[in-house]
Amino acid sequence: MAPPVSATKSPSPSQPSGKSEVSDLKLQLRQLAGSRAPGADDAKRDLFKRVISCMTVGIDVSPAFSEMVMCSATSDVVLKKMCYLYVGNYARCNPDLALLTINFLQKDCHDQDPTIRGLALRSLCSLRVQNLVEYLVAPLVVGLKDHSSYVRTVAAIGVLKLYHISATTCHDSDFPAALKALMLSDPDAQVVANCLYSLLEIWTQEAGHSEEAAREIETLYGKPIIYYFLNRIRDFSEWAQCLLLDLVSKYIPADNNEIFDMMNLLEDRLQHANGAVVLATIKVFLHLTMSMTDVHQQVVYERIKAPLLTLVGAGSPEQSYAVLCHLHILVMRAPMLFSSDYKHFYCQFSDPSYVKKLKLEMLTAIANESNTYEIVTELCEYAGNVDVPIARESIRAVGKIALQQYDVNAIVDRLLQFLEMEKDYVTAETLVLVKDLLRKYPQWSHDCIAVVGNISSNSIQEPEAKAALIWMLGEYSQDMMDAPYVLESLVENWEEEHSPEVRLHLLTAVMKCFFKRAPETQKALGAALAAGLADSHQDVHDRALFYYRLLQYDVAVAERVVNPPKQAVSVFADTQSSEIKDRIFDEFNSLSIVYQKPSYMFTDKEHRGPFEFAEDLSNLAIGGDSGDDAIRSAQRYQENDKDLLLSTSDKEENGGPTRNGSNSSTYSAPSDINSSLSALAPSSTSHTVAFAIDDLLGLGVPDAPILPLPPALSLNSKPVLDPGTFQKKWGQLTVSSSQESTLSIQGVASLTAPQSLIRHMQNNSIQCIASGGHPPNYKFFFFAQKEGSSSFFLVECIVNTASAKAQIKIKSDDASASDAFASIFQSALSNFGSL
Amino acid sequence: MAGAVSALFLLDIKGRVLVWRDYRGDVSAVQAERFFTKLIEKEADPESHSPVVHDDGVAYMFIQHNNVFLLTAARQNCNAASILLFLHRVVDVFKHYFEELEEESLRDNFVVVYELLDEMMDFGYPQYTEAKILSEFIKTDAYRMEVTQRPPMAVTNAVSWRSEGIRYKKNEVFLDVVESVNILVNSNGQIIRSDVVGALKMRTYLSGMPECKLGLNDRVLLEAQGRATKGKAIDLDDIKFHQCVRLARFENDRTISFIPPDGAFDLMTYRLSTQVKPLIWVEAQVEKHSRSRIELMVKARSQFKERSTATNVEIEVPVPADSTNPNIRTSMGSAAYAPENDALVWKIKSFPGGKEYMCRAEFSLPSITAEEGAPEKKAPIRVKFEIPYFTVSGIQVRYLKIIEKSGYQALPWVRYITMAGEYELRLI
Repeated sequence: MAPPVSATKSPSPSQPSGKSEVSDLKLQLRQLAGSRAPGADDAKRDLFKRVISCMTVGIDVSPAFSEMVMCSATSDVVLKKMCYLYVGNYARCNPDLALLTINFLQKDCHDQDPTIRGLALRSLCSLRVQNLVEYLVAPLVVGLKDHSSYVRTVAAIGVLKLYHISATTCHDSDFPAALKALMLSDPDAQVVANCLYSLLEIWTQEAGHSEEAAREIETLYGKPIIYYFLNRIRDFSEWAQCLLLDLVSKYIPADNNEIFDMMNLLEDRLQHANGAVVLATIKVFLHLTMSMTDVHQQVVYERIKAPLLTLVGAGSPEQSYAVLCHLHILVMRAPMLFSSDYKHFYCQFSDPSYVKKLKLEMLTAIANESNTYEIVTELCEYAGNVDVPIARESIRAVGKIALQQYDVNAIVDRLLQFLEMEKDYVTAETLVLVKDLLRKYPQWSHDCIAVVGNISSNSIQEPEAKAALIWMLGEYSQDMMDAPYVLESLVENWEEEHSPEVRLHLLTAVMKCFFKRAPETQKALGAALAAGLADSHQDVHDRALFYYRLLQYDVAVAERVVNPPKQAVSVFADTQSSEIKDRIFDEFNSLSIVYQKPSYMFTDKEHRGPFEFAEDLSNLAIGGDSGDDAIRSAQRYQENDKDLLLSTSDKEENGGPTRNGSNSSTYSAPSDINSSLSALAPSSTSHTVAFAIDDLLGLGVPDAPILPLPPALSLNSKPVLDPGTFQKKWGQLTVSSSQESTLSIQGVASLTAPQSLIRHMQNNSIQCIASGGHPPNYKFFFFAQKEGSSSFFLVECIVNTASAKAQIKIKSDDASASDAFASIFQSALSNFGSL
Repeated sequence: MAGAVSALFLLDIKGRVLVWRDYRGDVSAVQAERFFTKLIEKEADPESHSPVVHDDGVAYMFIQHNNVFLLTAARQNCNAASILLFLHRVVDVFKHYFEELEEESLRDNFVVVYELLDEMMDFGYPQYTEAKILSEFIKTDAYRMEVTQRPPMAVTNAVSWRSEGIRYKKNEVFLDVVESVNILVNSNGQIIRSDVVGALKMRTYLSGMPECKLGLNDRVLLEAQGRATKGKAIDLDDIKFHQCVRLARFENDRTISFIPPDGAFDLMTYRLSTQVKPLIWVEAQVEKHSRSRIELMVKARSQFKERSTATNVEIEVPVPADSTNPNIRTSMGSAAYAPENDALVWKIKSFPGGKEYMCRAEFSLPSITAEEGAPEKKAPIRVKFEIPYFTVSGIQVRYLKIIEKSGYQALPWVRYITMAGEYELRLI
């Protein structure tokens, strides 16, 4: 309906042709404007309708603005509605003309008909014109006190609209306080709900830089208000109930009795016909029981299971999709829960593929000893499915279940049957899986190799599958009679092989084959090395050269490097850290679950509250009285950090073989080097690893301690780092300094809210990226940047005001400067409150 | 907090904007249209991408209804499940107003569409989505709208779903108990999944503010009242009620009491996950005589009591694509080849319990297959049917009491029906 739409639309003959139409309308409107004739209103309606239609199909009818306003002096509701619509649409692009409308809109705000008062007020607030803000205040003040609840609902949201046009005007007129009063006293539920919408949005936006707003948010989550809402929840509309439940989920009850009372009160909400209400209730239950023992959590899971399963089955596919996303995250936390209900996740023929895909994921996640057989049988049905992507997904799912180590025997048989189906995509997917299986269960090699050996490498096109086949040829060349000859023919077709990935694998496989069956492979090896050296791809070239020199140096060493004895992979690396998973879980019932990403990864900064990044700190606050809680959670974070590290190094060790199958040499490396390796994040080809080790032994290690500390470290006063990068860096870097520091008594006294410390640190050029917590525990993430350099210092600081202690963990791009930074940070912290 | 939606779009089948409402001014129509048309072009089948897509900091959530897409764009982290549900409610409301929601009906009613979009959502937050309430202040035909308007009653009312002052000459309630059977049978003839989804659908034509009370043969209730429960009581797995039902009351003593909305609504839905015997069993044998001829033999058997009769039975048996020259014989009903679905469709108007019917069909196949390696279609046999006066669960309405302060007598009418839901047999 906005003018720009017309640009993307091709003019069609059936549509009015624009310009002449507009001038025609203008003329007719002008004729009618002053008319008091009996039929005038009907004629006006017709005209207005045409104007609106033009506007909707994308014709710019803004030239008729003044005529429209002239005609708007009427008592006809329908005309008024259409006029509001028109004005709302064009006011923003014509702020000067918008001024014309203020007069009649303001007048309508005092109309005797509440519907007109409401509509006029809504239109007035929706104009979004900066310089008309002053005209909004008075009608809003009146509107909030209107005796019709319809007008009050409109006014409550109107305040929020005003806030978005001009926050200062909103505060100057003291609207937040008025809304709060209204929220706590209004008899109409929708008015209350709209007040809450507005207040939450206003205060959440400001919580980052205003202590008062942060405090107000705290009171919203406090007991009196939560109880006020809980007792009235049945009066609210279904959407407002979702809002209230979301608010309740942030509340932290004092003890278990209170938790049970709340759950009893809300239990009937699980029977609400609106799925959104049910999900919101489930969120509350999950959050309430977060701090409780596993037993209680199990009970809650059991309780919410039936409603969730109903939501999946009944209703629209879109709803199933959204609910399945939520189920998936629950299942990841408690796989046992749904293990007997696996049949609910069998795919229907008519399910859209996005639902099928999620169902496959669910089936994979809930497979265990008792149900694997049935699930895999069902998945095999899908492998022959019409829908090729789904068929692929199901084969992958079978493989994933096999890797979860249940009933591998039967699954391997099934997988091998797939290979006999002789469909290209089935074979391709299966090969990749068989390769992964062999890495985990080498004992199956005999059976697999027998089947894999029959597959012609010519029939496989997909690089990943081809690479997997080649890897198996190299790895098991002693068991496959014709391995050297297959490899030889592959080498002959070197030129036709487009994927560098496959060529790399081919090099390594030929090497491995050579060590086992030298006489037969020699020719192929020579050809492969020659082709590799002439290859245009840098990695291929380098690897060929490396192998060549290695062989020249000593064949025995070459064998140790390229084909050392391997351990079976026990656990494949998880792609997401547990910290991220926890954060996603905290954002239950939002887009985060659908994307499987925490919200800071996909929303813009201005569209999220500062609290969201630090929301996981609610853990800190649960049972926040005891000091050792903080320590426990601190340990949790530490473990997480270790997890992060482990998973990256794991990835190198496990991810390597996927590509060249011989990376296990890192196993033999001394462990301390191993950890510094992961800090260096080396590429995973084995020769670079080997060089990296050399490098470290030769240069890096002795050098590091000798490096003198830079005498004075100055910090960039205005560093910029977005939360996403922060999170990534935090995951990548190791802790370079971990200390405990003591706060001064004044410091503890001033730390009533996180903001005070944040401002203090800002004065010391240390910026806060996220903070949160409740007395006595606060947690902060700070960062700073070295002046004139790109290296960042990242700090996690957990303050316990009861013991006046702060635990500091520093990570840095530039490890040499981190000690200097640590002392700056320490002194800044100890100065806190002394001013 | 639950985030707000930036804008709501109604788009045509090609993804072009028909009507949109800009709630927060941070996502433009051009931006959304560009994204969405690209999305549709990329994948010819709109079903293949999920209903939530992220692009350039904006979360798009959409559903399709007939030839219209309903799309919301949001910059905040909003509640996906509830927004998708909200869109379905929007569809319901439009259907109430325009009979059917499609491109044409939108084009004819721009003004009402705008009004509705304004009342259903304000600044990106859902408001009222009940057609009954909305229709009190947005009348369908703008021309005949009365000039003297009352403020929307329901908005100020404690019972938001019903307005006061409703009058009927004849006070009646119709209650339909509808159960749909979902079943999945694998190629070995084993039932791998079955459940029953039931709904109590009500149509009320009652004056004033009637207080209703519904009694079911619910095992928990009957046991609590100490009545004999031999065989007649039922267990309902997961019950959901319309918002008018006093849930707390149900939690306490299992009585279902409510003030109903006016007109049609779903009072209650439930699910039964107990194993059900397939009510209609279908077997199919396929014989390929040569490369060019295929013979199907389909047997259908009704496995319910003889006193019930299934009506409008429709059995869809998949056949290879591009089959020609159908030669079909049936022992009951009529069968026809539906090339657009690659299926043989066999219709039987009336199918009494305990009977078995047959259908034979012969097709010619094209001698040259279209493409080698094209995956063979593995569609299941699908069955549709209705069995009136019968419920799988055995649910019974024991009483439906209607009390209104004026003391009129209302007539309750109760019907039972069982239908096929997702009824699939993978027998071929």
